[in-house]
Amino acid sequence: MYPKLSLYIYCRKINQVFPPTGEEILRWLMKILIIEDEKGLRESIEEYFMEAGNICETASSFQEAMSKVSLYSYDCILLDITLPGGTGIEILKYLKQNDNTDGVLIISAKNSLDDRLEGLDLGADDYLVKPFHLSELRARVTAIIRRKTFNGSNLLVFNEINIDLLAKTVKVNSQAVKLTRKEYALLLYFLANKGKVVSKNAIAEHLWGDGMDLANNFDFIYSHIKNLRKKLMEAGSNDYIQAAYGMGYKFTSQ
Amino acid sequence: MKLLTRYNRVNLLTTIIVMLITGIIYYQAISLILTKQLDKDLVVEENEIFDYVRSNNRLPQVFESNDQQITFTEAQPGTVNRQFINTLYRNRERDEEDRPKRHRHRHEDRFESGRGLISSVTAGNKYYKILIVESKVETEDLIQIIFGITAGVILLLLVTLFITNRLLLNRLWQPFYDLLKELRLFNVTDKKEIPLEKTNIDEFEELNQAIISMSARVKSDYKELKTFTENASHELLTPIAVINSKLDTLIQTESFSPQQSKLLNDLYSSVSKLTRLNQSLLLLVKIENRLLDGKERIDLKLQIEELLMQFEEIFLDKDLKITYAPGEKELITSTYLIDILLNNLLSNAIRHNYKGGSINIKLTEESLVIQNTGDETALADDYIFTRFHKSTESEGSGLGLTISRQICQNLKFTLNYSYNTPYHTFTVIF
Repeated sequence: MYPKLSLYIYCRKINQVFPPTGEEILRWLMKILIIEDEKGLRESIEEYFMEAGNICETASSFQEAMSKVSLYSYDCILLDITLPGGTGIEILKYLKQNDNTDGVLIISAKNSLDDRLEGLDLGADDYLVKPFHLSELRARVTAIIRRKTFNGSNLLVFNEINIDLLAKTVKVNSQAVKLTRKEYALLLYFLANKGKVVSKNAIAEHLWGDGMDLANNFDFIYSHIKNLRKKLMEAGSNDYIQAAYGMGYKFTSQ
Repeated sequence: MKLLTRYNRVNLLTTIIVMLITGIIYYQAISLILTKQLDKDLVVEENEIFDYVRSNNRLPQVFESNDQQITFTEAQPGTVNRQFINTLYRNRERDEEDRPKRHRHRHEDRFESGRGLISSVTAGNKYYKILIVESKVETEDLIQIIFGITAGVILLLLVTLFITNRLLLNRLWQPFYDLLKELRLFNVTDKKEIPLEKTNIDEFEELNQAIISMSARVKSDYKELKTFTENASHELLTPIAVINSKLDTLIQTESFSPQQSKLLNDLYSSVSKLTRLNQSLLLLVKIENRLLDGKERIDLKLQIEELLMQFEEIFLDKDLKITYAPGEKELITSTYLIDILLNNLLSNAIRHNYKGGSINIKLTEESLVIQNTGDETALADDYIFTRFHKSTESEGSGLGLTISRQICQNLKFTLNYSYNTPYHTFTVIF
């Protein structure tokens, strides 16, 4: 796989070796293209991803999207299937024909297995069904970029927290932290959405999927987060998880 | 009743009736003609007598010959009406001929049916009644032969008809049976056309054409419906997605009062309920239309174990006691459908449970039983499987059991509900 030009430039700019080591992953700026015809959704996604260093471009129609994907390279393309002037499938085909290695995440209201398989067969990296939480989208995009761009690097570092993505182990400094499956997933989710308030609904949906509507309240999420926080802090990590107004949680180093 | 049987029955019955009527007419006609012939012979004989009497003025000598008997009896003048009668013919001559055989009956006369002519003549001033009788035996023999041949022909005709009908009709109707077979296999979701054999029979060709156009119409209607469903889902889900994303964006802005965060929380849960409702409806439509099918090998025991692991935290949260009696059961069907079925049933058992309650799951080769504690009244099992039927305090969509039952129907399972204190029991019979 060829290195992303933007990544290369970025590494040069901050005097980093290329390719970057795991430590850089979370600091890494993303260059993403949002292809979505619904203005409200497009703006929300743009706003959510837009932060210091990230580059977000948008396209609201098939033509606009085609001209952008043919000219520029992105770390990840968020692709809606139904577009004015054409379909996202055609864009996918175009990308495949041109051996474009941009990551592609399909966001679609179509939830049939066929559509999903067609999209993935055509080279999309993931498929997210509308409606979704922005934090979920962010987690998926991060995962795609991680897979695509940091080829071979399985280490994720956030300050003193080290995560081996392959072995699924977590260390604080050099002390191993034993996390349950859900706690591990929760930590990754937080890291992908660091600095953002993640709603309890989004966490529940991410961790329990369809089963989440079983609980009338999300108290059990609280106990999960409490456990994760306790384990990390006992191993010597700082307290990064903050409750946010009873609506959700925020993973932040500030 | 098969068409062939019915057809044969009607066909053979009418043939027999027509043949019988024809036979009767035939018999009547022949016997009429032959009687006429006899009458003519009688008249010739009568004329001979008249001639004799006229020239000799006396009665001719009576002799018997050619199956003919003539008798003269004196009668009162004018009392005799000339007429033809059916009468008996007394056969003597034959007896003699048959003597060796009919030895003992020598003196007995044999009576045969005969045709007679009563006439009168005046000879030598005497008025005589003439009776000329001729045997009808030969005529009747003839009729019998004719009748026999006719009956034979009828029988032969019936047998031929029966056999040809059987062979011909079976072959003639073959396109129909082929078509029937194809129609049975017809699946609206199938993309392939019905393969129809060419036939040179106009009716079947028309039927084929009608079926081709009908199936095309059905398929296009179905496709339209599917497109509509998809469009509806897209149109509905996009605004929901916008609301969702706006909420996610909104909570990024700083500082909310407790009241505001409660409002936001309520909004969140309503939106997610709306999402699930919409998705459940779409799912139900898809399952009803049998759009979801697959042929994966599923280890049900493993599947349930995974699900239980998935729900572990929720069991803990609700303090539920889970008893799982696993058995070996393998299915070959769609994993997706089985996932939904298990998820729905177990969710139900959790949702309608109380804190500290219990859930029993038992898997055997024949059935899956899920029992849960809950309200201490039985549910109305007629209604629980209908759409949007749910208890007032339920947080679900009201479609879970409908979807479960529909899945069971698709997979040819049975889903039953029963209540035995303190357990509500749902049983899936494979």
